[in-house]
Amino acid sequence: MTQRLTMENLRKWVPLFVLIGLVLFFTAVNPNFLSLRNFARIAISSSPALMVATGVTFVILMGSIDLSMEGTIAVCAVLFALMLNALGGSLSGAGWLAIPGALLIGAVLGAVNGLIHVKLKIPSFMASLSLGFVGIGLSLLITGGDRILIEDPIFRSLLTVRVGGFPLMAWAALACLLIAWFIQDDTTVGRNFYAVGGGEDLARASGLNTGRLRVTGFIVAGIFYALGAIFAVARLGIAETETGQNFMFVSITSVVVGGTSLSGGSGGVWNTLVGVLIVNVIGNGMVVVGLPDYFQDGVLGLLVIAAVYLSTDRRSLFFVK
Amino acid sequence: MVGVTDIKFLSPENLLNLATDVVPLLIMAVGMTLVIYIGSIDLSSQSVANMATVLATVTLPVAGAASALVVMAAGLLFGAVSGIVTTRLKVPSFIATLAVGGIALSVAQYVSGQQALHMDAGQRNHAFGWMQGSTAGIPHELVLALVIVGVAWFIQNRMTAGRVLKAIGTGEPVAVASGIRVERYKILAFALSGMFAAIAGLMFSVKLSGGSPTLAEGFLLPAIVAVLVGGTPLTGGVGGVMNTLIGTMIVAVVRASMLYLNIPATGQQIFFGLVLIVAIATTIDRSKMRIVK
Repeated sequence: MTQRLTMENLRKWVPLFVLIGLVLFFTAVNPNFLSLRNFARIAISSSPALMVATGVTFVILMGSIDLSMEGTIAVCAVLFALMLNALGGSLSGAGWLAIPGALLIGAVLGAVNGLIHVKLKIPSFMASLSLGFVGIGLSLLITGGDRILIEDPIFRSLLTVRVGGFPLMAWAALACLLIAWFIQDDTTVGRNFYAVGGGEDLARASGLNTGRLRVTGFIVAGIFYALGAIFAVARLGIAETETGQNFMFVSITSVVVGGTSLSGGSGGVWNTLVGVLIVNVIGNGMVVVGLPDYFQDGVLGLLVIAAVYLSTDRRSLFFVK
Repeated sequence: MVGVTDIKFLSPENLLNLATDVVPLLIMAVGMTLVIYIGSIDLSSQSVANMATVLATVTLPVAGAASALVVMAAGLLFGAVSGIVTTRLKVPSFIATLAVGGIALSVAQYVSGQQALHMDAGQRNHAFGWMQGSTAGIPHELVLALVIVGVAWFIQNRMTAGRVLKAIGTGEPVAVASGIRVERYKILAFALSGMFAAIAGLMFSVKLSGGSPTLAEGFLLPAIVAVLVGGTPLTGGVGGVMNTLIGTMIVAVVRASMLYLNIPATGQQIFFGLVLIVAIATTIDRSKMRIVK
């Protein structure tokens, strides 16, 4: 028994060991990797991805999956930029309303997603994939394919102002992660996510309204996608349909690589932080080492397969679809 | 309905054009059908088709018409990898195919050097010119597509493999208990889906005379819609290749009528996304899913 316990404990820390190993490896190949400037660069590329991955973590904890993030981010980013510019173009004026506005849009899209999944009893991966396509179409319809520029210096300070070497964006993302941690560990809803993911039959039998809980999970995810959209816009100063591109693959990879199991019930937002850092360290490290960036998708693909393989408890599975 | 607003819509040439335009989509959807038929899904088709356009363009000067074989083999290989990852490593098919799609995308970008490539017109006509011609007014492409659908139909209805796929889709535990080597046949379904996606990419790249890692972008949604609207539910077991043929026709007509009615392409994507949800909701077999995750 003690043997197994230590194995389980060990497995829990594997993602962190992988992260440390990667940092050491890239530093050994190119010492420039281990510098504050480079770490700040990794932090900037990680911030939007961290928000999106944190959002989807809640959904995956319940054993569902959400593939709608590209569409949701595109819609949130575009509408956020339009609202900001329409309300005076600066966060110092009425423009700050654009932030709660964007979060609300994210929540609404998440709710639609969750309701379709729960009420129509459609598997979540398919419901959310369809809605993702709808979202991309919607944002294209709104923008007509144009880019929306944001020049507000206060908003851009998320990227330009640095505290302790890291941009404000990274600190803001960290704050949001702490909120997510609070939701996960210290609220009833958060604990219930684990209950549903661990065994829906049991959760339902003990009186949980699992349908409503699932919808809540998708709403929380939607709000975090909206945060990710805001950071993504802040990073480039541009909002367009392309803003959402690639987030689906990267965020799912991050969650899975961080050690949250796709079957639900184990893992959490700190795993996701480690996962996001692993993915971004690999992305950054490959550039620093001098490998072309298009190998990233392939490497991430292999990483996902390996991580899901290692994290699946095969004793509890009879067959896999 | 659209025939009423514009009488030209129903003319034979227009219908023929419509059918020809939809050929690559049809082939991809037919491959996807085999995977959905067993209750799994293949999200890598689009990336495999993208890779196929690049591989076809790159190998054409070297291999001539044999480049078709190279492309098909590559598709078969990527499909088989998806199948092996799903069955042996027990990774759910949507995530396994997503990951394999990522690998295919990397390969496409590596081989193409991240740019759009063009086929040499002379070489293309020499190797694949016959694809573009037509006999008695019927384009060869369309004939080829129907032959391919016929092959898929034959596999599905007249071969042991097809019967086994149906058994797996209807009830996998039962199939396992009857002593069928389920894993092998599942891998076969994924491999065939990969190969069909590659053929779709090949024909698309011949048509456009070039290849790029993003050429087949936008194929995934209509392909899934075609399968589901045709009547093969996400839970598998019923429907099949012929249903997908009809489903693809529906997609083609909807698409063309939207063009006629001047609805922008972005509207199409929203529409197909919603159609997909409706199609799944109405066709899915809920008795197979006690808990919907």
